[in-house]
Amino acid sequence: MLLSYFKIAWKVLQRRKFFTFISLFGISFTLMILLVVYAMYDHTVGPHTPERRVDRLLFVTHIGLWSPNSQGNSDPSYSFLNRYVRPLRTPEKISIATGGSYAVAYVGNTKLKLSLKGTDGVFWQVLDFDFLAGRPYSVQEVGTDAHVAVINESTARRYFGAVAGAVGRTIEADAVGYRVVGVVRDVPAARYLSTADIWIPLGLTVDVHEPNYFGNCMAILLAPSAEALPAMQEEFKQVMRHVPVQDPKEFTELRIYANTLLANTVRNFVSRNDDEPDDGVARFGRIAWGMALLFMLLPALNLVNLNVSRMLERSSEIGVRKAFGATAGRLVGQFLVENLFLTLVGGVLGLALAAGALALLNGSSVIEYAQFALNARVFAVALGAVLFFGLLSGVYPAYKMSKLPAIQALKGGTN
Amino acid sequence: MLKHLFTLIWNRKRANALLIVEIFLAFVVLFVVGSLLVYRWQNYRAPLGFAYEQVWEVGLDPGIQPKAERYATQQQIIQRIKSLPGVRAVTRTGSNTPFSNSHNSSNIERPDQRIFRPPSNVYRVDDAAGDVLQVPLEEGRWFDRRDDGAPVVVISHDMKELLFPDETAVGKFVVADGKKRIVGVTATYRADGDFADPKQAIFLRNGLQDTTFEHLETLLVRVQPGAGGALEKQISADIRAIGPSWSSNITPLAEARDKQMKTVLTPLVALVITCVFLIVNVALGLFGVLWQTINQRRSEIGLRRAIGASAGGISGQILGEILVVATFGLALGLLVAAQFPLLGVLGVRVGVYGTAMALAAGLVYLLTVICALYPSRLAAGIQPAVALREE
Repeated sequence: MLLSYFKIAWKVLQRRKFFTFISLFGISFTLMILLVVYAMYDHTVGPHTPERRVDRLLFVTHIGLWSPNSQGNSDPSYSFLNRYVRPLRTPEKISIATGGSYAVAYVGNTKLKLSLKGTDGVFWQVLDFDFLAGRPYSVQEVGTDAHVAVINESTARRYFGAVAGAVGRTIEADAVGYRVVGVVRDVPAARYLSTADIWIPLGLTVDVHEPNYFGNCMAILLAPSAEALPAMQEEFKQVMRHVPVQDPKEFTELRIYANTLLANTVRNFVSRNDDEPDDGVARFGRIAWGMALLFMLLPALNLVNLNVSRMLERSSEIGVRKAFGATAGRLVGQFLVENLFLTLVGGVLGLALAAGALALLNGSSVIEYAQFALNARVFAVALGAVLFFGLLSGVYPAYKMSKLPAIQALKGGTN
Repeated sequence: MLKHLFTLIWNRKRANALLIVEIFLAFVVLFVVGSLLVYRWQNYRAPLGFAYEQVWEVGLDPGIQPKAERYATQQQIIQRIKSLPGVRAVTRTGSNTPFSNSHNSSNIERPDQRIFRPPSNVYRVDDAAGDVLQVPLEEGRWFDRRDDGAPVVVISHDMKELLFPDETAVGKFVVADGKKRIVGVTATYRADGDFADPKQAIFLRNGLQDTTFEHLETLLVRVQPGAGGALEKQISADIRAIGPSWSSNITPLAEARDKQMKTVLTPLVALVITCVFLIVNVALGLFGVLWQTINQRRSEIGLRRAIGASAGGISGQILGEILVVATFGLALGLLVAAQFPLLGVLGVRVGVYGTAMALAAGLVYLLTVICALYPSRLAAGIQPAVALREE
């Protein structure tokens, strides 16, 4: 039964090539754009290196002092995080790192501008980097402020000429020498909380004794399991409630939140609020869904239009089937299956187009170290979108088709 | 004739409903994207109000040096950079340098008025800033040594228009971190970048009492044309020599501008690509539906030809019909588009919406005409004898 539907669908597709082309063009490009956008989203907040255990991680990157009349906010300082965040009990591990800065290295007379991040030793245990050579620096090395560094692949290539042999040599950044202990694969710029060209022990870049709450650090909290994440967030909230406000004459409230990677990204780039309890993820989700639906509406309408006018071509076929006793429901089913078949073909094309577009994006250096790729999640989204799209564009024409009176249809009538 | 066409379409409104909705949506998409593009384009065409070529931004990071010593070290660094050959002028400023996407804004008032005004950009600079950024002045002068005793400011054209619309501003007072006298008015100053809206700006003079490093951690340096890598290397080496824990980040403003443009243009390009795809999609669909319609109406057209309609008349009718359908869609779209300026959805100037509406409407008509051309010629080519025999 289903097989014969597919056969019919295939024959219909071949009948008018131009119409088939229009339909497939619409479906595949719509899907391509949706997939590229989703792949970018996945690339930014999905479980990829180095935040491979993203469902267990929370980030503390912002601190605000608040009162009705004046507000101040900044990144938290090392001493604040060390004193109030480090003692938390739920997290399995806590890492403190700097927000990131720049250092300059010279190869002959060419300048290399390196993004630099100071980290503690736990950083390498909380996040999962791909080490191409060597090892991360240890907690002991950070404790003694050893001049060691982990660099990324591009920096190793540019500074030493090759990844092999970089370990053990000295890289001079801002005229300070660091012994390279490890080389990691490039971290995409979209992973803005962990990316850098060179990572060095924290004590070399920040004054760890500066008591001010405001500084340039961040904390990464690793929960023992994904289920423990809400408990960890709750404990963080409780503890922060009892932290004394700095400068109580001017400010009345301390506002600091531990966010998931998604929430942090949304706060930073979309809702741009760092001082509100609501992280804006729910709103962001609603808007994203709304946009995706709106975006699919136009191509879907187009497909409906085409389907309705193509269906009228087949009115005599429908008339015959009705005359031989096919029910309206069966006709609707047949048409939906045909339409789903068409959208699936378009979906396959769309996947191929998306793969091509992503390869093109990776090749052009629009985004530094970007490695967009299709994976199982993207594939699942594609499948979902195809089914939704197929139903959306198939229901109305199928309904109209089933309503066609048999006699009129047999005569080839159009209304 | 026109009235007849409208009646025809109105009578078949159910059959045409989907087409009308499609054109309506296409118009709304074109209108929204058009508004954003027109807005950015108009901003891009307006002058920036300063010269960014041969200006370098030097970001300073004192590292682990204690706070109390930072100001003195920074002063030493400034003296050193000033003395380098190839450097013309140096000013000390906050992190809100041109093209940096960093803002410092607050509400600036007249001392005699206390009304709510939109926030203004606040730039803390010193006497050399006028030379470094070559800000053109409309009235008065840039501040200098003469102002050592009294607190003074320079305001931009937009702020003058807001606070002193019908009077001269020079010599008057504003409240910005205390009461300060205006000594000059610059042309419109748009350090937020090429695509940003013009916003009121005020320049505060760093007094001698500003002896903290924080908030004024950036230097802007005007260099001689042709200065390049060697000077850059020299500056960063000198900074390290003066403050061993210090590091610097030197970026030519032209480079910062390119980077900012890239971040503004990339989403716009993505938007335009998406929009073009949607419109091509609509065009192809329209074309397909029209073609199909012509095939279904062969007998009707054959009959009209048989009783004396000319080929031109037939293609004119087909074109006219689709244009009427487009007009229905546009009317709906204009109703929606009119809500945008009323609600201020996109946050652009009201004039932009008008231009975008005209552009979008023109494009929709152009699109329908192009899509209808081939089907209408097909219709005109129908032979009455052949068409009627099929019946």
